[in-house]
Amino acid sequence: MSDERSTDVDALGLGLGPLRLEDLVDREAMRGMVGSIEQVFGMPVRIVSNSGVSLASSSREAPLCAMINEEPAGRRACGAIVSEVKRLRVTSSEGTTHGCFTGARYRVVPIEYEGGTIGRAILGPYLPPSVDTVPDTLLAIEGVDPARAAELLPHMARATEATAEIVSKHLVAVLDVILWSGHKALLTSKMHIASIRESYRELSEKNAALEQAYERQQELDKLKSNFLATISHELRTPLTSILGYSEMLVGGIAGELTGPQLDFVQIIHSKSDQLLKLIMSLLDLSKLESGTVMMRRSDVAIGAVLAEAASTVAPVATKKGVTLTVDAPGDLPLVLGDPERLRQVFVNLGENAIKFTPPGGTVQIVARQMATEADAGGDEPGMVLLAPLRQMIEVRVADTGIGIPEAERDKVFDPFYQVDQSSTREHGGTGLGLSIVKRLVEAHHGTVHIEGNEPTGAVFVVRLPASRPSAPPSKAAISVRFA
Amino acid sequence: MQLDFASREISIKLVYYGPALSGKTTNLVALHGRAGADARGRLMTLETQDDRTLFFDLLPLTFRSKDGDVSLRIKLFTVPGQPIHAATRRLVLQGADGVALIADSRVSETQRNADAFLDLRQNLRDNGIEISKMPLVIQFNKRDLPDIRSDEELARLAARGKEPVFRAVATRGIGVVETFVCLLWLTWRSLDQSHQLSRKLSIDGDDLVSTAAQQLGVTTPFRELIAARMGGRAAGAAPGGAP
Ligand SMILES: Nc1nc2c(ncn2[C@@H]2O[C@H](COP(=O)(O)OP(=O)(O)OP(=O)(O)O)[C@@H](O)[C@H]2O)c(=O)[nH]1
Ligand SMILES: [Mg+2]
Repeated sequence: MSDERSTDVDALGLGLGPLRLEDLVDREAMRGMVGSIEQVFGMPVRIVSNSGVSLASSSREAPLCAMINEEPAGRRACGAIVSEVKRLRVTSSEGTTHGCFTGARYRVVPIEYEGGTIGRAILGPYLPPSVDTVPDTLLAIEGVDPARAAELLPHMARATEATAEIVSKHLVAVLDVILWSGHKALLTSKMHIASIRESYRELSEKNAALEQAYERQQELDKLKSNFLATISHELRTPLTSILGYSEMLVGGIAGELTGPQLDFVQIIHSKSDQLLKLIMSLLDLSKLESGTVMMRRSDVAIGAVLAEAASTVAPVATKKGVTLTVDAPGDLPLVLGDPERLRQVFVNLGENAIKFTPPGGTVQIVARQMATEADAGGDEPGMVLLAPLRQMIEVRVADTGIGIPEAERDKVFDPFYQVDQSSTREHGGTGLGLSIVKRLVEAHHGTVHIEGNEPTGAVFVVRLPASRPSAPPSKAAISVRFA
Repeated sequence: MQLDFASREISIKLVYYGPALSGKTTNLVALHGRAGADARGRLMTLETQDDRTLFFDLLPLTFRSKDGDVSLRIKLFTVPGQPIHAATRRLVLQGADGVALIADSRVSETQRNADAFLDLRQNLRDNGIEISKMPLVIQFNKRDLPDIRSDEELARLAARGKEPVFRAVATRGIGVVETFVCLLWLTWRSLDQSHQLSRKLSIDGDDLVSTAAQQLGVTTPFRELIAARMGGRAAGAAPGGAP
């Protein structure tokens, strides 16, 4: 991944990269351990990482070694041994030993963690019991005083190989515990910091985006509401006067009107009223389009909404001689939405259906739960987890009117569109009702489309997502008929 | 994935994802219990509070091929499921070679399972990976509890999905090895396709996964083992298209 943002997972210890001894251990703790081992077993210890860094070593130097290091030749020889030991190839986890020209020995054991070697522990120098005189290899070093060497030799740490092995095993066991807790502490602290950083980054990004969006929204809001307020005021004020004065004329306040005069004034009144409704719908629509309409969301039982909407439009249907029915099963899941807006959707659809249905026809409103699993693509990952939540409720508003040709079905939802322009004149209405329906349904994350009805008519199909996966407490089914 | 030619070692990172308390840690504990002494590393549970994972759990597993020639080193992580640990989940997920989603079978958890899945999908996307490209296994855990989604429903949905679905009772170790072995198998196959592992190391993926299964105490051939899945067309065919 070349994403700059992404933190290096290996650096976090979350990746697969090798671990380093120097990262895992606390040096102070290491020195403490080395010191106590030296105290108990009298043996010097040194811990070296794979990269050759010495992480802890005994502080006391054997007097013999100190003497050797006083002479340049001794210092050279001693340095050579130490670097040999540091670089010694250790193949088995048992470790290996290495001799020194003083007769002393070093024991080197690998430090293993998670199946890999990350460093080594070096025990020594210690003298095997067999060495009781100053060896020739030591006397061969230039500047070494044999008498002093003989005097200091007994002060060196003594151990048998068996003892050295026990001590080294103990050392490795203690180290393992330290490494384990060190590893945990390392991961914890790194993870902690990385998480905080990541959260901070995410929050800052979101904050910046929100701030921007908020500012823009505020600006738009201001423009929009100014515009809307102006328009509605400017248009409505004169209209209110027209309505008021024509009402007064009809009421005979300005004197009795003749038959035709009364007819004309009534037409003026009803057309003005229509115009007012058109203005209100326009305002509604523009609010919906700008997304500034307030939605009060709650769990809504769609059956009740349908019954209410139907009773609102029932008088129109009855007057026209159209039968109106509503059917909703009792176990429908709830919809998360604004009940008032949903009612508006079905009032508009009901009105529209009645409008285009001739006398003697029927408008049926039917709700049901949809088996959406059939719709979900099988190739989408996680289907088994997501499908049960994709429950939809479908409401079909079917009429027996003239129907809508297939090619026209999408356009019907455009503002001011009407299949046959003359029908606006014939049936009245603004043509805005359906575009409002579409926007309201979409604001509920639903869809609306049109199908044909048999043998004639149109079916408006609204699909709304159910709010919860679990079934709500069963209610009584709704079945109403207005005729 | 990391490939060390010299030591003939393949390192793979697998992540157990899922909603809070679905049983991710329990899965790791069960695997740890099943793994032979040679295979299992120490299970590290990082910072827990009331048994809830705060950072992650890590179980290293090492499987050696039959002849001992190739080592397959697995680092198995869990993420913390609680919503507040979103950043940690994204971090732990980085560099994952395969993911198991551990879901809680109870009907009441349906939403949270789906949320966890969507969270996984988004976090992968943020890391530049499409979930359809990620080896994925789904486990429905806690089959022992009442009010769970029915076998019939899971089977029906799983049959339509691509990824293998396993049922499990992690607390009793049921279904745990199946889930893991299947994920290992899918991951191996995907890595083999992108990195030609079997050709480069001249090993057989089936053998490797088989020995891994054996080291988890499984005696049945691994293909029979992962046949316990529901659905999972993805795990059906062998590489090269053999049935
Ligand atoms: N009955 C039942 N309980 C389970 C099962 N698997 C896990 N649990 C219990 O569920 C609880 C949560 O399990 P964990 O494994 O800690 O869950 P987790 O997914 O790691 O949770 P986080 O770390 O918070 O994300 C524990 O009390 C488990 O004992 C199961 O198969 N059946
Ligand atoms: Mg956990």
